[in-house]
Amino acid sequence: MDVLQAGVGEFSITDPDDLRAFMRTEKRRQMVDKVMPEAEAVRRYVKDGDYVSFDFSSFTRGPASLVREIIRQQRRDLWFAAKFTLMETTLLAAGGCLRGVDVGFLSLGHLIGKWVEEGRSKVTEWTNGTLTLRHLAGAMGVPFLPTRNLLATDTLTYSGAKVVQDPFTGKPIALIPAVNPDVGLVHVHQCDIYGNARCFGPGVSPLETAMASKRTIISTEEIITTDDIRKEPSKTTIPYYNGGCRRLCPVWLPAGRDAGALRDGYRALPGVHGRLARRAEDGRLSGYICL
Amino acid sequence: MNGREFSESEFMICQCARLIQDGTLVFIGYGMPQIAAILAQRLHAPRMVQVYEFGAVGALPETPFVRFTMGGPRNCYRSLAWTSMNTIFAQAQLGMVDLGVLGTTQIDRFGNLNSTMLGPDYHRPGKRFPGSGGANEVLTQCWQTVIVIKHEHRRFVEKVDFVTSPGYLDGTPGARERAGLPRDTGPWRVATSKALYGFDDQTKQMILLGVLRGLSVDDALKEMEFTPLIAERVEELSPPTPEELRVLREEIDPDRAIIGRTATD
Repeated sequence: MDVLQAGVGEFSITDPDDLRAFMRTEKRRQMVDKVMPEAEAVRRYVKDGDYVSFDFSSFTRGPASLVREIIRQQRRDLWFAAKFTLMETTLLAAGGCLRGVDVGFLSLGHLIGKWVEEGRSKVTEWTNGTLTLRHLAGAMGVPFLPTRNLLATDTLTYSGAKVVQDPFTGKPIALIPAVNPDVGLVHVHQCDIYGNARCFGPGVSPLETAMASKRTIISTEEIITTDDIRKEPSKTTIPYYNGGCRRLCPVWLPAGRDAGALRDGYRALPGVHGRLARRAEDGRLSGYICL
Repeated sequence: MNGREFSESEFMICQCARLIQDGTLVFIGYGMPQIAAILAQRLHAPRMVQVYEFGAVGALPETPFVRFTMGGPRNCYRSLAWTSMNTIFAQAQLGMVDLGVLGTTQIDRFGNLNSTMLGPDYHRPGKRFPGSGGANEVLTQCWQTVIVIKHEHRRFVEKVDFVTSPGYLDGTPGARERAGLPRDTGPWRVATSKALYGFDDQTKQMILLGVLRGLSVDDALKEMEFTPLIAERVEELSPPTPEELRVLREEIDPDRAIIGRTATD
């Protein structure tokens, strides 16, 4: 299969056999209690230089509290998957945590754009859809997935995708490399102490993110019993082992999304985010997050 | 503002809404397309089904509209289904989505869109924007796509600084198909604050189809860096109707945060 075009964007890929070996030894299958405070979860599982992904956005079931804890603990040189992101990227950049960003959507406010203009934040272009597809590939344990998106654009040129001639139809097709984040952050409505988790309402890719990530930190609105989980198994979005046994850490975090909206929970407060974005631009973030 | 009884944004939204047909499955982009979709739904297209990139299908958004949110419960109110991003983009790739509606920063003669950056050097952009979001998928996969954009010289450029989402590329016949993009897709209409454009079947160039009542063809052309084709008969576009304005101002955006105010307010 000839490569017709190769994107020049920086990206990392995990060998699928290395991934399997990791899953075999690091993601235990026993059900054990994984509840711990978020500060401990971030201290244990988020390392400088990690690739970090998350589900949904700061306006809707985003892992707002975990993102703030990462800033508080001053993690550095993170590469962040900004699929359907809003405040997360801006806050992490302003907090000095980011080396680079995989862009689906880069916002909110002017700060992150300005940092890209000044070369302070590196970016690789993707789209919301292809970045999410990378997580699906990562969740499937395959090195890439094909898509007809991205073709014939500068977005592809500055991505890490490759274009090949499809051996079945002969048409050009884009191949999107898998991503297996070092850490996935997923905020959920309910989970049990083992990490069987329920997300209600719309979601970007909670299951793909949890499956693809080497470690997944789940923060939850509510801890319920495993009996409750077993009564309605079709409500389970993420089975406990996907985050990895001792690596999966349900964290007790009421209102973990901070001014985001949650079905049956809270309404989004866009004004809060506007003020926060301006605060970040003015370098006044430390007054908001105790560093 | 245009000294009229409606704002430029209101006209742009009404035009866009009029292009959304009842009974269709429509991929709604972030921002102004959301308002146009709600307006269409409340007036002439009650059975139009909206889909959003994070997987909501068939939402009947609550109003007043909350700015910036798309995945929140108000905007996803009374949906038929909450799926996921991979599912919904798969639906589009499968050919299930009739129409896409997108905003953008720059557009060129062949309907290529830029929502990524301005300037000659990608690595040191003069101005950096959010990037594709889901726009690339929408313009790639939907059978037809409407682009809603403010009518400004700096937005209608000969060549976009960065092709975020693919239009008719260089305009040569079959360019999209040669690149591997789905057959018979591409930008269909461009609805602006002054005019309406389509794309010529043969040359794939943007073609002026209509101008707002009271404006001339030149009024539209002078606010563009390139000169589009001009339809043999340029249609006169009706301004917003009292009913359209009532729904916009009383139901959807009473604070006028998006639709703006008029000179007479």
